[in-house]
Amino acid sequence: MSNRDYLGEFEHIVILALLRLAARAYGVTVRQEIEARTGREVSIGAVYATLDRLQAKGYVKSQLGDPTPERGGRSKRFFRVTAQGIAAVNRTHWALRKMTDGLDVIEGYA
Amino acid sequence: MTHQSGAHPPRIAAWLVDLFTSNEHAESIAGDLLEEFSAVESKSGVESARRWYWRQSAKTIGFLVSTGFRIAPWSTVGAVMGGCVLLWFGSSLPERAIVGFLDLRRHHVMPQHSRLDIYVFWLNTSILIGRLLFGLLIGWAVAIVAKEREMVATMTLGFLYGPLNTLVLLALIGGRLWAEYGWRMVPHLMVLAFGFPFMIVVGGAIVRATRVAMLRRSLDLCG
Repeated sequence: MSNRDYLGEFEHIVILALLRLAARAYGVTVRQEIEARTGREVSIGAVYATLDRLQAKGYVKSQLGDPTPERGGRSKRFFRVTAQGIAAVNRTHWALRKMTDGLDVIEGYA
Repeated sequence: MTHQSGAHPPRIAAWLVDLFTSNEHAESIAGDLLEEFSAVESKSGVESARRWYWRQSAKTIGFLVSTGFRIAPWSTVGAVMGGCVLLWFGSSLPERAIVGFLDLRRHHVMPQHSRLDIYVFWLNTSILIGRLLFGLLIGWAVAIVAKEREMVATMTLGFLYGPLNTLVLLALIGGRLWAEYGWRMVPHLMVLAFGFPFMIVVGGAIVRATRVAMLRRSLDLCG
């Protein structure tokens, strides 16, 4: 992966949700975390599609948990951010900071 | 698919999500949806939970279709192209087989030129059914090749082939055929435009549903 790769908008949000949730990050909690913090309605399909993309880029890893009865005996898939993923978040934040630096109009809206 | 209160999420929605989910996420997406269905149901009642489940399923399928193509574009395109080749070389086979069979019966069972209307009726009906079954067979073959992208591949083929084929047919020979057959062409055009692509997708759904069932069985055996 090139060190000039930045995260897309929703990729960025999903990876931040994973970092916030740490060991509790799976489909349901990620979806709920994003909805609670951004107020944006998100589908489970959108979350998994983005996690698939992040996993293909090496930014995220996943592992299956144990099956639980409230899920009809189905397992949870837990996700965690890799070192590469954290580097991508830092790169994206750095680029955004550089782009917004000194823009009074943005500070005025905040 | 049940949870503690005994309420079920809509079966059709759950089945549709299964069709479009990859093997890797089949268990986790179904489990996530069921877990949230239970939470919504205990908070807002069964009807709200069912509505929530349908809404989530529709959105989820939309995302899975679009990403299914993006994640494996070449294998999907390969399967669709294979389907196009099969259609190109095999599309006249059902008609030829049916006409051959009916001609054989006409010459051996019925006297020549008698009950011609019945012969034409059976010829038309058999060709329509033959086309639908051929669509099912093509969908099945394409889905066998397009592992885990069965629905995306067969839907793409259906969307490409049905309307395109109908437009080409209408543009090239529609005028001449219409003058000769008029409204009698309508069932054939409908089958070509909608029925045939639908059966391609049904073929894909049969293969995918079988694979999901096999996956569940192997997981049950392991777990």
